[in-house]
Amino acid sequence: MSTITTRAAIARAPHVGWEIVDLRLDPPKAHEVRVKIMAAGLCHSDDHITAGDAPVRMPVVGGHEGAGIVESVGPDVQRVKPGDKIVLSYIPACGACRPCSTGHSNMCVKGLHAGTGMFEDGTWRFHEGETDIGGFCSLGTFSQYAVVSEYATVPLREDFQDIPFELLCLVGCGVPTGWGSAVHAAGVQPGDTVVIFGAGGVGSNAVQGARFAGAKNVVVVDPVEFKREMATSVFGATHAFATAKEAHDFVVETTWGQLADHVIMTPNAVTEEMVNAAVQMTGKGGKVTITAVGHVNERAVHVPAGALIGYMRQIRGALAGDSNLLYDIPMLLGLYKSGQLKLEELVTRRYTLDQVNQAYKDLNDGKNIRGVIIHEH
Amino acid sequence: MSITTRAAVCRAPGQPWEITELELDEPKANEVRVKFFAAGLCHSDDHIQKGDAPMRMPVVGGHEGAGIVDAVGPSVTRVKVGDHVTCSFIPACGKCRYCATGRQQLCDAGKNAGTGMFPDGTFRFHQGGEDFGGLCVLGTFSQYAVVHEYSVIKIPDEIGFDVAALVACGVPTGWGSAVRAGGVRAGQTVVIYGTGGVGMNAVQGAALAGAKNVVVVDPVEFKRDMATSVFGATHAFATAKEAHDFVVETTWGELADHAIITVGILHDEVIANAIKVVGKTGQVTITAVGNGWINENPGMLIGYQRRIQGSIYGGCSPLVDVPLLIGLYQAGKLKLDELITRRYKLDEVNEGYQDMLDGKNIRGVIIHEH
Repeated sequence: MSTITTRAAIARAPHVGWEIVDLRLDPPKAHEVRVKIMAAGLCHSDDHITAGDAPVRMPVVGGHEGAGIVESVGPDVQRVKPGDKIVLSYIPACGACRPCSTGHSNMCVKGLHAGTGMFEDGTWRFHEGETDIGGFCSLGTFSQYAVVSEYATVPLREDFQDIPFELLCLVGCGVPTGWGSAVHAAGVQPGDTVVIFGAGGVGSNAVQGARFAGAKNVVVVDPVEFKREMATSVFGATHAFATAKEAHDFVVETTWGQLADHVIMTPNAVTEEMVNAAVQMTGKGGKVTITAVGHVNERAVHVPAGALIGYMRQIRGALAGDSNLLYDIPMLLGLYKSGQLKLEELVTRRYTLDQVNQAYKDLNDGKNIRGVIIHEH
Repeated sequence: MSITTRAAVCRAPGQPWEITELELDEPKANEVRVKFFAAGLCHSDDHIQKGDAPMRMPVVGGHEGAGIVDAVGPSVTRVKVGDHVTCSFIPACGKCRYCATGRQQLCDAGKNAGTGMFPDGTFRFHQGGEDFGGLCVLGTFSQYAVVHEYSVIKIPDEIGFDVAALVACGVPTGWGSAVRAGGVRAGQTVVIYGTGGVGMNAVQGAALAGAKNVVVVDPVEFKRDMATSVFGATHAFATAKEAHDFVVETTWGELADHAIITVGILHDEVIANAIKVVGKTGQVTITAVGNGWINENPGMLIGYQRRIQGSIYGGCSPLVDVPLLIGLYQAGKLKLDELITRRYKLDEVNEGYQDMLDGKNIRGVIIHEH
């Protein structure tokens, strides 16, 4: 095995967009695999990097949703072998730490280097001249090839082999993050009233999860008409409103004043106004689940504690929708195969790597549920 | 027939408790008159008197109390004259959505707690032409009060009224903050901020639930001593910083599973400290009253999947948990006598609250004279 060259989209600093460059990529070391990435999802989290809202080490190779084929493996790799078709999990699951051992592999201690892309031995695999470059979430799927930890790989069983890469890449982050926000983190129960703020690539899957868990009312708040239409006509929302105020009034009326059981926050960026609207929309014993991040210096969770005490409301954070990705990714693909989970409808547009900046402009213009980069090889 | 009763009332926020004589109506349908023998001095009454918590004025203080049913109105089924009872500061109607789903602490019938008004829009305490509500529609700082039958819980005759008074608010609110709302489990590390009449019971709850480390933060040395020597805390610190450093060390950096906030007056800093002291998937349970705000970047909650749970009544259902706690007391697994630091006459209510604010009491109790 030798060092190879790969084309990748990198961010050198906040606010300067993505730049397409050729990088050197090392061969995989122990417990690492080199992946030929076939498709990469355009998640909002990567846009938070170029917007300056995600404090990551720069320069960085973007992309943390990806699927591809194992090109080569380093020593001691057990989970996959060359030629395997895999999904990349944006949080590794080592299977041995305390969180992994207690059913919280989304908190795996090996996720420690998500913001630097550094490997455990203190080195990096992407290089440009003398500069080491990390991959976002220790992946970097906006590259034709990447070296990743074997713990970030999810092998696919035989009946998943025909699923296209452009759908496989989505179940590495956006789909379980949204689905799990409703099903795992919130714990939606049959008959519940659930309000979902933001119906993009994550929120649309929170809609699917809430529907699947048996919610009576799946109420979407999104300013973009296209997303409201997709939420109700495709993903299973029962009602959709452009503003939180309209949703609030509807929830008051439909629940006879008892308010929502759950509010799930999956907008592009969480603000103080949204969090307070969510708390006020949640009834006795209800829960606000925050999945989306906000602006890095904004304390968007600014709520008087009294608003939680009298009604025994809970505010919680959710990472990857409290999913155990080694279980949830195959489970979700199984639901797709049986026709119970919609993945194709999530992909609004496809782009080449060179079009990555245009793709993020489309995302910010509200044109996409999810855009996907199809890598050229 | 209406009767006369001596009571401690607050006529406006900031004014001290005043002992006065009130007229008390007969109980109407589904209401009972209770002759109170003991009333607990909970911090919540002080919050009302200070104006920190909104309340219709004038108000009869007191929402922890125990006594004997002295008269009943028509249609009362839960208790009869002569029954020993303690008062639940939130009623349990047994038929609203929340009662019907095992969450009596959220009973819809609790909506008049801040006015003391009965469901028919009237009041039972009067003076001249003026109506007085009882705090939480109770008013245990009165020798007698008329309360809804949903607000009383029968207790065994052999239980002292002083400890019975506490077991209807401070004890379940604290104990439940650990056991019910918190959900402490065996082997966990729990940090409890504030060990007064509520927090001390959070300590007992965490210890009974099997927590490995029950870590207390309280600036008052007497309370720290009581927490560790009597109520089951394993470690006690004067400052949040010392507790944090200990938790980092003892958990090898994994931090606490639970933080429970039961301080006298809730403030922003203790909330921020509690959020920082819990680790991955950890829970902060907020029970205290006051104008404290959560003020965090969402990432503080998302990255470690922390959760912040508001807690009223500790998440206890009074009709099951109050008898349960009395049973634990009888079995020697819950300390109640040790919670009572001092006893006062009704006339000494202001002195009782000053002692509380001076950190002298775990719990003060008024013993009513008849």
